[in-house]
Amino acid sequence: MMLRFLPAVLLCSVLLAPATAADPLGKVLDLENQANGVSRKALPPVDDLTYLRRVTIDLIGRIPTAEEIQQYESLSPSTRQQKTVERLLADERFADRWTIFFADMLRLRSNAEGGGASIAFIHRALRDGMGWDEMSRRMIAASGKAGATPELGYILGDNADPMALAGSTAQVFLGVRVACAQCHDHPFDVWKRKDFYGLAAYFGKTRRVQSQFTNTVYTTEAEQTTVLWPPEGVEDGAERKPMVPVFPFELDKADRPSRPIARLRALRRKQAQLAAAKTKSNRKGDAGLEALLAAAGSKAERRSSGKNADDLGVANEAKRDAKNLKIAQARYRASKLRADLAAMVTNPRNRLFAQSFVNRVWGELMGRGFVEPVDNFSQENRASHPRTMDFLADEFIAGGFELKGLVRTIVNSTPYRRQHVIGVEDPVRIELETAFLSTPMRRMMGEVLYDSVVTAGHLFDIKHEKGKNLKVVWSRSRIAKRPAEGSGTAVKPQLLADATARKAMKKPRMKKGKGTGSPYDVEQAIELDFDALLAESKNDGVKIERMQVMSKEEIEAMRMQQQAANNRPDVEYFDRFIRSVFDDNPRFSTSMRMASPAAPEHFLRIFGQPSRATLDEKRDHTPSMRQALMLLNGRLTHEASRVGELEPIHKLLAGETPRIEAAIRLAYREILTRNPTTTEIAEAQEIISGGGSPLNGMADLRWVILNSNEFRFLP
Amino acid sequence: MAMSCNDYRLTRRRMLAATGASMLGMSVQQLLAAQGSSHAATAEHVILFWNGGGMTHLDTWDPKPGRPTQGEFEPIETSAKGVQISEIFPQLAKQMHHCAVVRSIAGTQGAHGQATYNLQTSYRQTANIRHPGFGSVVVHERDRMGDLPGYISISGRAPRAHYLGQKCEAYFVANPGDRDPYLAFPEAIGQVRGNKRLDVLARFNRRFNAGSGDKKLASNQTAVKEAVKLMRSPALKAFELDKVPTTTINRYGDTAFGRGALLAKRLVETGVRFVQINRGGFDTHSNNFPAMQNHGDVMDPALASLIEDLSETGMLKKTMVIMLSEFGRTPRINPNAGRDHWPNVFSGFMAGGGIKGGTVIGSSDKDGMEPDKRPVPVSDLHASFCHALGIDPNREVQTPLGRPMKLVDNGKPVPELFG
Repeated sequence: MMLRFLPAVLLCSVLLAPATAADPLGKVLDLENQANGVSRKALPPVDDLTYLRRVTIDLIGRIPTAEEIQQYESLSPSTRQQKTVERLLADERFADRWTIFFADMLRLRSNAEGGGASIAFIHRALRDGMGWDEMSRRMIAASGKAGATPELGYILGDNADPMALAGSTAQVFLGVRVACAQCHDHPFDVWKRKDFYGLAAYFGKTRRVQSQFTNTVYTTEAEQTTVLWPPEGVEDGAERKPMVPVFPFELDKADRPSRPIARLRALRRKQAQLAAAKTKSNRKGDAGLEALLAAAGSKAERRSSGKNADDLGVANEAKRDAKNLKIAQARYRASKLRADLAAMVTNPRNRLFAQSFVNRVWGELMGRGFVEPVDNFSQENRASHPRTMDFLADEFIAGGFELKGLVRTIVNSTPYRRQHVIGVEDPVRIELETAFLSTPMRRMMGEVLYDSVVTAGHLFDIKHEKGKNLKVVWSRSRIAKRPAEGSGTAVKPQLLADATARKAMKKPRMKKGKGTGSPYDVEQAIELDFDALLAESKNDGVKIERMQVMSKEEIEAMRMQQQAANNRPDVEYFDRFIRSVFDDNPRFSTSMRMASPAAPEHFLRIFGQPSRATLDEKRDHTPSMRQALMLLNGRLTHEASRVGELEPIHKLLAGETPRIEAAIRLAYREILTRNPTTTEIAEAQEIISGGGSPLNGMADLRWVILNSNEFRFLP
Repeated sequence: MAMSCNDYRLTRRRMLAATGASMLGMSVQQLLAAQGSSHAATAEHVILFWNGGGMTHLDTWDPKPGRPTQGEFEPIETSAKGVQISEIFPQLAKQMHHCAVVRSIAGTQGAHGQATYNLQTSYRQTANIRHPGFGSVVVHERDRMGDLPGYISISGRAPRAHYLGQKCEAYFVANPGDRDPYLAFPEAIGQVRGNKRLDVLARFNRRFNAGSGDKKLASNQTAVKEAVKLMRSPALKAFELDKVPTTTINRYGDTAFGRGALLAKRLVETGVRFVQINRGGFDTHSNNFPAMQNHGDVMDPALASLIEDLSETGMLKKTMVIMLSEFGRTPRINPNAGRDHWPNVFSGFMAGGGIKGGTVIGSSDKDGMEPDKRPVPVSDLHASFCHALGIDPNREVQTPLGRPMKLVDNGKPVPELFG
């Protein structure tokens, strides 16, 4: 081990240094680099505005606005960076941006059973600072009905299949790839097939059930396990017996030198006291995370135990038929096995749990993990900086496994602040970047790019005055006509009035209309309501049970009734072309809250959002022609470039004496978070004067900057 | 990305092996079956019609006259001697001497999702990995020709490329004939202004990239250059159906499907490797017969004109036209006059690109319940398509996790399909 050359005293003093000391993380890394024999010098920190751009993008998933820049500059230089980090950690968008990180990792899909609710659960947990251990425990041990139990998306994502869940639980929560061992002993690692089966056995009794009447999906626990040993086809004629669950990962015997476990215990005690005091003083309380989850999450469990039913607002349904309770009890059984597994996975003595998570977050913020790929911890694939990773893991455990604390430590550290290296050959660059002595160029991920273009172009709000962008649209509409008594002829479709109308029909419709497909639909972001997803209809929860006590005939009658409601009396339909004028003042929503993954041809998918289907699929950061076409010719960049009358920059460009130079400065600040150089101002003036009018010229300039590499990559 | 020299040598070596073996008394066809792909490509392009929902085999390619499972349609004679197809394809019947029908596809999946996955990828769906669709395999193995994307999906979604990567994804065309807004500057931006913007952008990026020297930046620029090249390419004319004479449009049937077939023809003529045309509405649990008559009215003129036109220009020799669906439908007609899912045996249609015309491969039993002669597993179909394209179906590619995956799930080409 390289580190044995490190003076023990020095190392201990660093590791034991209180977290309040300036940048302990940076110090540990420097020492470890020294010990690793790295001789190159670190790059200096980036300047103030660059830091603002970098940290804003990383924490809240968009570039800073001009107002935020101004506010930042008004702060004292010595504290502005730290204060900004605190502001960003408290921003609503922090949870938005990091939900994507978790949803990718856990492969949560809005359109999967319980997937939308699970994404909402993650979002709420992040907003309220729930620890990663608690989140993980809930997800691994969850039982109940899709949607109503928001944590259930993880288990249902793999159809509650024990083999798939064993593979994903090891890889997602512990960064270890054991899935190969499902079919054979791991080709180049220690994992044996039996280890895999031992892990899978924790999921062996869980069943995914789909109600044949209501199509609702829920989990239940069976008496028998489906995981048998030896595997099929290994020994002919051998009796296959239920596999005994065995947790294949080692737990630490004692606390580590920096005492993370003792510190975690102290923190938990303090948190418990605070919580107790809070419940006393605020009996009712607002609908915080715990309240909501109690209502939605463990509803099934509580219902099955019959306790607290009155507090949960399900009392009426529960009382309606005592029979329901019994049925539910048998139905959504909690899993003892998975609760045990969850406890072991999240045990602070299970180093891999904390290590793999800090490695992922470090990789997300630094462009490269200590272990790469981030989910491949193995004897054959050692961490580049094990000490630094352990330091972060210890702090993460001691801080209650809280994401915000971990992010704070990293973004306040020297390594995070370092510049990119410029003008060197690749081997040198790689050496510097691997040692974290310089930061690599990182592309904005799709969601961040989208929201950043929207921010730069003032498109979160209406930016044009009313009536300035009137457009005529012809749309085809189905008109229903009930045949009049006695007359049998239907009205013929009305034809287009004239050739101009026909031409207008062919043009792409830009309206963000409901229903009608526009060719630009792939650039839309429709926000999901996370709160609504969490507070999913309470009545729905007992639907299955109610169905259960109905006879087959009753169900059939109910179905027919529902069908009858859908059937229309004999109505004839015909097409009519309708002319409508609308004010084309586009507004864009954040892409961070839209249903994910988006449709395959959507902007986000083109820019690398994964389909979240399989364990080995990663976010794709490579450029493509399709991406280029979307930015060059898409509606988003076009609208962001156009100058609206309600934008601050408009005042500088309109009127008798436009203040072109001031406008250029503002454009650079708004889009690139920096001031332009003298040469750039001169160049921009030329571009603007060539644009016909200052407004068009500014649109040209903004279009170019929005499409530029400088915009696309984090500084 | 492209087929490398190594693969080519492999193909050659196999070819030599095949020749040698045939001298030793084994037929080339026996060897084909034993070895997978082994000869030069007969097909350069593929047009795949994907009929989503599970198209009935009994009312299309595998009629059962006189049996209780026949249903409402009569079989008709075709230009291929002894080959009968359903009366819903009167025009196509005149082109059947170019076409082959496989009547003994032995499917295993009865649910739409799993069956679609199986038919489109040759693999069975599992939790741990997602396999690429056939179009992605083709553009992964065969070079792009010309400016247009190698793989285009019309009127719906082709399967994704997954571990073959972003470059093997399909380019989507929502409605054939509609202008694709992403292939030209926004409406309000004229050519002169747009080009000026592109010039300034190139200057900005050159300066920024030179300042950094990071290669990641250069690859972004390549993407922009490719995009601009496509925007300016004369090949884009292939998309402009409004310049096609009305008589031609009408000959294909003035429907989305007909326009899709016409566009597909124009695209392969411009060098596109793989075009997939998606169509749904085949899940005929009720009123199967009027629905299929409708489908016939739409598909017949399009398919017949496509085959006729391709054969007239000689393009059919190197273009393989395929029509597939995820499964067939129950021989038993249900009380709603519909047919339900039936994977045990169903049919596929193909023509051109080396496919022997006028052929029928295999058969189902007298009621169309089970394969009778020569069951063809789904992966053998894929292996056959690969064979025509000169792709070795057993070639392995690495997934991002380093797991080797064959291009096709252990299929063997069906030698009778080829002349």
